[in-house]
Formats: sequence, C-alpha cells, structure tokens
Amino acid sequence: MREIQKEHLAQECGNIKAKGFDYLKKITAVDYATYLEVVYITYNTETKAQELFSIKLPIDNPEITTITHIYPAADWYEREMSEMFGIKIIGGNGERLLLEEWNGTDPPLRKSFAWGKEYKRREI
Amino acid sequence: MTIMRINVGPIHPSTHGVLKLVVDVDGDRIENITPKIGFLHRGVEKLMETRSYMQNPVYTEKLDYIAPLAWDELYVSAVEVALGKEVKEAAQYARVILLEFQRIASHLLWLGTFANDLGQLFTSFMWAFRERDIVIRFLEDISGSRMFYVNMRVGGLDKQLPADFRERAYGIADYIEEKVLQYPDMLDSNSVFMERTRGVGIITRDNAIGLGVAGPVLRASGVEEDVRKSAPYYIYDKISFRTPVRSEGDSYARYRIRYEEIIESINIIRQALDSMPDGDMTGLPLKLIGPAAKPETVVVSRELPRGEGLIYMVPDKQKPYRVSLRSPAFINLAALSHAAKGLKFADLFAVLGSLDVVMAEIDR
Repeated sequence: MREIQKEHLAQECGNIKAKGFDYLKKITAVDYATYLEVVYITYNTETKAQELFSIKLPIDNPEITTITHIYPAADWYEREMSEMFGIKIIGGNGERLLLEEWNGTDPPLRKSFAWGKEYKRREI
Repeated sequence: MTIMRINVGPIHPSTHGVLKLVVDVDGDRIENITPKIGFLHRGVEKLMETRSYMQNPVYTEKLDYIAPLAWDELYVSAVEVALGKEVKEAAQYARVILLEFQRIASHLLWLGTFANDLGQLFTSFMWAFRERDIVIRFLEDISGSRMFYVNMRVGGLDKQLPADFRERAYGIADYIEEKVLQYPDMLDSNSVFMERTRGVGIITRDNAIGLGVAGPVLRASGVEEDVRKSAPYYIYDKISFRTPVRSEGDSYARYRIRYEEIIESINIIRQALDSMPDGDMTGLPLKLIGPAAKPETVVVSRELPRGEGLIYMVPDKQKPYRVSLRSPAFINLAALSHAAKGLKFADLFAVLGSLDVVMAEIDR
C-alpha cells in the first residue's frame, strides 16, 4: 500500500480524483500500538480499479485534515474514525459524535482501551 | 419562515432497528435531516479482535439479520484470503446458489415492508412474506437454523448439501419466478404506490458517486456497478446475467432495481444448478485453523443485497488484529438528508424505505 505524508492528503486526494478515482469506498484506521495508520480506499467507477493509500499518524494527539470537500462520502467515515480512534479531524464535521454517547476520553478501538471499565453516558 | 424541529423515532415501524431522525421542517417541507445512529452499537469490530477467526461469524451474521448468509460469506472469504485457502469447486457453486437465495429473501422482505409503508396495505406484505418463507425454510433445512445459518467454513460449507437439494432448488426457483412476476400488477398499476415513489427522493448520478451510495441505490442512479461483474468471485464470471441499471434515481427506480434483481438471481440460481458438479464441499472443521499465512492486509469485497460490503482485515496468528467493516447501509443512510431535502414530510418514509437500511449493520 502506498504511503503518503499527511500534509499532502488534500492534494493527493485531488490528484487521485482527477485520475478518475471518483468513488470513496471507505476510510478506516488501524492502531499498531506505536503509531496509527489511516487507510483510504478509493475506486474508479469507469475502469473498476481500486486504489488504497495510507497515512501514518503519531499515537499522541493525532490530527488529520478533512477530505469532505473532495469526497462528500468521507463525512460519516471521518466522524466514525474520529470517535473510535480519537483522531481529530480538522474542518468538516469531525467534532460531532456519530455512534456513541459516552464521554469520548478513551477511544474504544485503540489497543490501549481499558476493558471492563465503567463509562458514563454523555449528557445531551 | 419558521423552522420547526421534529424528532422522529427512535422507534419507527419502517426501520429495521432503532433510528432517530431530527427533521427540520418549514411548514410541510423538509429543510434538513440529521440521522442519529448508534442505538444498536455493540462494538462488533472491537469484539472481533478478541475472538478466534472462526468464532467471529456469529458476530458478522448479526450485522444484517435479513441477509446473514451474505455477511457470513464475506467474513469467511476474508479469513480464507488471510489463511491462503482455496474454496472447493463444488462449494463455490453451492455458495453462489445459497447467496442468491439469500438475496431473494432479503429483497422480498424489503419489498413487502416498503409497499406496506406506502399504504399498499398488507397484500404486498403477505405475498412477499409467503415467498420469502419458502426460501427461509429451504435454508433452514440445509443449515439447521431459520435465521442465523453459520454454515460457511474455511474452504467450503459445514457439510454436504442434502441429496434432494438440486431438485428442491429448481422447484423453489420456478415457484418464486411465477409469483414474483405477478408483483408489477399489484404495485406498478397501483396509483398510490406510483404517486408516492415516482420522482420522489431523487439522487442524481454525480451525487450518487460523490455521496458514495452503494448497491441498488447506486444502480438506480445510473451507475453500472456490481462487484459480481467488476471483480467476479467464485463462478460469477461463468454465468451470464444482467445488472439492472436505471437512470431516474428516484424511489421507484430503486424499487425496480431490487425487483429485477430478484428475477436475475433466479436466473443465476438456474445456471449454477445446471452446471453444479458433484463433489466434496465440506470446509475445514472450526478448530483446525492454522496460523495466518501473513499477507499484510486483506481487502475483500462482495455484492451484498444492500450493496458492496468490504472487509479490511489485518490478520494475526490465531485471531484478527483488526477487522474494519464497510457497511453499504451505513453510507446509504448518510445520503438520506440529501435525497429527502425539499420533499413533503410524509415522503420521508418513502425515501427512507427505498434506501433499505438495517440499523444493526449501520451501528455495528
């Protein structure tokens, strides 16, 4: 999988979209304990080709810019990732929680997540 | 102009599961919809990291309880890629036939409830469920369970199909075709149904691609995209079938796409039955799963009844390190606000129903 720098994300997405990869299939993340990897899966609806690329982020205070202005489909994927991995999305709707209603201090899909701890429901 | 905010849900009969919609209306006109999801969030992706490879189909099946076999097969396929195992030839045919029966059952359930929501009271519901039950009973006889089959194993199925499988499958295909061909008389000639679906909830081609909608919703907007054609798996490349595509992008087009897919599934089942070889189709027993062959990551796509499902898996020795699930219903629901903006409030459920969402799969 091709790895890109996070500063070049918006530019890279623009280039890929210009090449015909017009459909965003998924944005997901993996916690490798020492770093986080964000994976973008794009797809070309004409040639049926699939293109994946990834970005490495530090484990502490990870931040990434939104790509919703390039791929509107990114909105919910980014919000879900933000909530599950504690990755801050700069711009977009990344601040709004999507799935869970607890205090999002310990992102559940991180490997450091404490099992069995009691969580309080977020006040709405 | 005064905007009124209406909370719909979290319980509504037209949704499979629990969904809350915060709808801003100006008079009777929808200005904005904010779906609130997560009521059924179980943390499936996290749970799957703690179980061995073949304990996990129990979770994937419950993602979409209307088409559990489809998710089961998608997950087991990802495990097969991770472990480097091939699927036996007879089992490939069997899987295709079972998956298409599952697609028929899923679309029939959708069709019955959708027409019911639109005021086509009970007749369509009863008809669709009558046909669906025959499929469900057939799958029950094969797997031993009515809803959650869990009969996919690495390399094949859990056991040989019964001796009368072929004969019964042909019979059920004939029966469903005969009955389903009567449906347009009930729906397309019903003026209430037509008025409430035609031109309602339009998603244009460009927006469908941009919003990333999947499956029948994408094809109803004029995009010819079907994983069975674009990246054929099993025996789909040996079978001649059509991918229904329409250009209108409205609720009616989405209904027609699913309806025609039922007919195409019957066509696929017949062709697969014609050429299905005899042979061993049993997969590996659950306990005899060795360590992963260590590909770095596994990406597997399948055409589920609701659209393209994708698993991004990072394998580890005895259990997956990370499983990420792309749910087609998740991204279709995200497009609801776009599709329903500017419509009358009463049309909201014509649009929501036509997107065919299953909340258990969206919330995971």
